Amino acid sequence: MTCVELQKSLAETEDANTTEQRAHLRTCPQCAALVADLYLIASTAIELRESDGPSPRVWNSIEIALRQEGLIRPQSGSRSLLPSFASRWGWSRWMVPAAALLLLSMGVYFRQHNRTQQIAANVPPPSTSPALAVAGLNDDDLLQEVAEQAPAMKAQYEDNLRIVNEYIHDAQSNVDANPQDEDARRSLMDAYQEKAMLFELAMDRSLP
Amino acid sequence: MTRRTVELVIVSAMMAGTLVAETHKEFRFNVGAKAGISVNNPYGSISVKPSTGNAVVINAVLYSDKVEVDSSQTGNRVDIQSHLLQGANADNGRADYEILVPADASVTLHSSTGPLRAEKLHGDVTLEGSAAAVEVRDVSDAHVHVRTLNGTVYISNVQDGHVEVDSLSGQVTLDRVTGPLVQVVSTSGNISYIGDFGHSGEYRLTSHSGDIDAVVPESTSADVSARSVKGEVRDDIPLQPKAHSPFPIKQGSAFFGSMGRAAVSSTVVLRSFSGKIHLRKRSAK
Repeated sequence: MTCVELQKSLAETEDANTTEQRAHLRTCPQCAALVADLYLIASTAIELRESDGPSPRVWNSIEIALRQEGLIRPQSGSRSLLPSFASRWGWSRWMVPAAALLLLSMGVYFRQHNRTQQIAANVPPPSTSPALAVAGLNDDDLLQEVAEQAPAMKAQYEDNLRIVNEYIHDAQSNVDANPQDEDARRSLMDAYQEKAMLFELAMDRSLP
Repeated sequence: MTRRTVELVIVSAMMAGTLVAETHKEFRFNVGAKAGISVNNPYGSISVKPSTGNAVVINAVLYSDKVEVDSSQTGNRVDIQSHLLQGANADNGRADYEILVPADASVTLHSSTGPLRAEKLHGDVTLEGSAAAVEVRDVSDAHVHVRTLNGTVYISNVQDGHVEVDSLSGQVTLDRVTGPLVQVVSTSGNISYIGDFGHSGEYRLTSHSGDIDAVVPESTSADVSARSVKGEVRDDIPLQPKAHSPFPIKQGSAFFGSMGRAAVSSTVVLRSFSGKIHLRKRSAK
């Protein structure tokens, strides 16, 4: 393998660990130095992403824009432009888009639901909101992170989680009992918005 | 050395230590019209008032060497951040800010503990904090956005405002707040509105389990609908009934009607699940 071939092959493999690559690197100090530099850059970049990464909304927006422009395709491998669930606060980086998706789903649902009612009033409406199905806000994860980041605030977050969950429960019960009640549906949306706010305040800036 | 002398020495030493630990910093920036000012201070107060001219003046009091101030200007934007160092906590990481900004600046303030205050501004104001008490006064022609978990919110004398308040469990008080949109959503906090609901805005006050109290002068013109699923709803003001109520009117749990002159009325929506709703006339004093 020549130096040119090695550099081309680096674009296709992540870790320069094939037999041919290893054989070339043993005999070529220039390429060995290049690979060492690449490792250093890659590891430093990961640390930077972990510590000072922009908001998940920024990554999300960039990815959506890149997809719309046709500059990237859906990832088939394990690597993703989106934040990792395994990374620190990785789960929470999904909360804002998840909450937004939740609210959007509810908005679309309510709008369609209203239209359907106007067009065909005799069709019985669904008894539960499909928005609940996409509610991925995990209370335990939130409390665990708050306990690690700011233990003094854990009790406060527990209290607020409890009351906002009661809000969601009551609002959902009201929607179930009165599926055609516009106020009830709006109240459910408000309840989810409050919970989304709780998660946002926890992950954005309020926790140091 | 007497016991009292020993106590005095200890107290003096503690005070001296406190004084030494307290550091005052001042930063100045010149900005143009409609500048953006952002302050993120995890522990401590932030107070913003208008400056003269185009200066942004930041006075910070730091309570230990565990916290630093990072400030930067990018074009017409100034960012201030309390930078917590290793081992910082709510006590030694505290910093208090008094900031003067041009009155037309847009201001964004964040603090977990607060309090947060903004007054006499006419640029957009955004205040966020978990337990931070929030106070906004004398703002006109601007967006006012407030988000807290359990901090109290007091907003007064806002004219032509686009006001949105989200609070989980804090008490929210709006005193003479008017504008095209005034909206409060609370989970368990009480909401109090004192004022005349302006002339043509939409006022929506919602609390899941908190009470809603609206105190209005006799001259108020508004279409008012109030409804609580499980709580009591009372109006001490005779309302003209309106046709086509969007919900069934059940005595004691809902009302829907208009007061004053319909031609210049605002829309007022008061909603609760288990809290009480009370619309009453302001007593003449």
